[in-house]
Amino acid sequence: MEEVGKNESIRVLLDDGTVIAEGDIDLAGGPLLDAAINRVESVHPLVIDLAAVEFIDSSGLRSLLAASRRAESRGTRVVLRRPSSGVVRLLTITGTTEQFDVEEASQA
Amino acid sequence: MTAVSPPLNSIGTAGPITLTLPPIPTMVRVGRLTASSVASLSDMTIDDIDDIKIAVSEMITVLIQSGSRTTITLRFETSATEFAVEASTPSPANDLGRNDLALAIAVLDAVADEHHVASTDDRIMIRIVKRLAPIPAGSSSTRS
Repeated sequence: MEEVGKNESIRVLLDDGTVIAEGDIDLAGGPLLDAAINRVESVHPLVIDLAAVEFIDSSGLRSLLAASRRAESRGTRVVLRRPSSGVVRLLTITGTTEQFDVEEASQA
Repeated sequence: MTAVSPPLNSIGTAGPITLTLPPIPTMVRVGRLTASSVASLSDMTIDDIDDIKIAVSEMITVLIQSGSRTTITLRFETSATEFAVEASTPSPANDLGRNDLALAIAVLDAVADEHHVASTDDRIMIRIVKRLAPIPAGSSSTRS
């Protein structure tokens, strides 16, 4: 497992092509997540593990949606693995759940 | 002479709480955590406090992305029936259209009972209101 970015909001790791986000995906954390996604999004499908995400807002969601749009242009879909309750809620209230393949929601 | 104290609101202060932040991304988290702390002093459920955190994060983010160059001011005010947050910044750019507001507004719709975005020639202001549910008679004021 490789740590590819860390700041006050977020820690981002790569594990065998899976992007793992820990902490907050907000205006400060989003760019680090973007950078990690850009490194691996040629892997099909892109998998982002969100089990340890404690907070996400619409600026963080934009990072995920942008990755989803790029994946669709490649004919694939982004997999959100074990999204935390905060992620699930934001996807639900913005009506964007269908933009992703969601795997194994966690209870976090 | 008898000293008369000003009336206290439900979080035990005599007036609003104000926080001033520089308009940089790392301050979104500072504003969010402060909002959570202030809200927790009021009679709010944990879910309501989570909603306030999301709302404040959206408000600060919109103001930063609008081109704020000076400061962002957060003002928290509470009463027996509602918790209100106002975020504002002097913004000569006055360019709310530069970022995609739709997603942020969709989130505010879901987490706040009221929200209002106002933009003038020199200032942008966002206000949200979360109504407080009445506490059932005979119960503690601490909620979970």
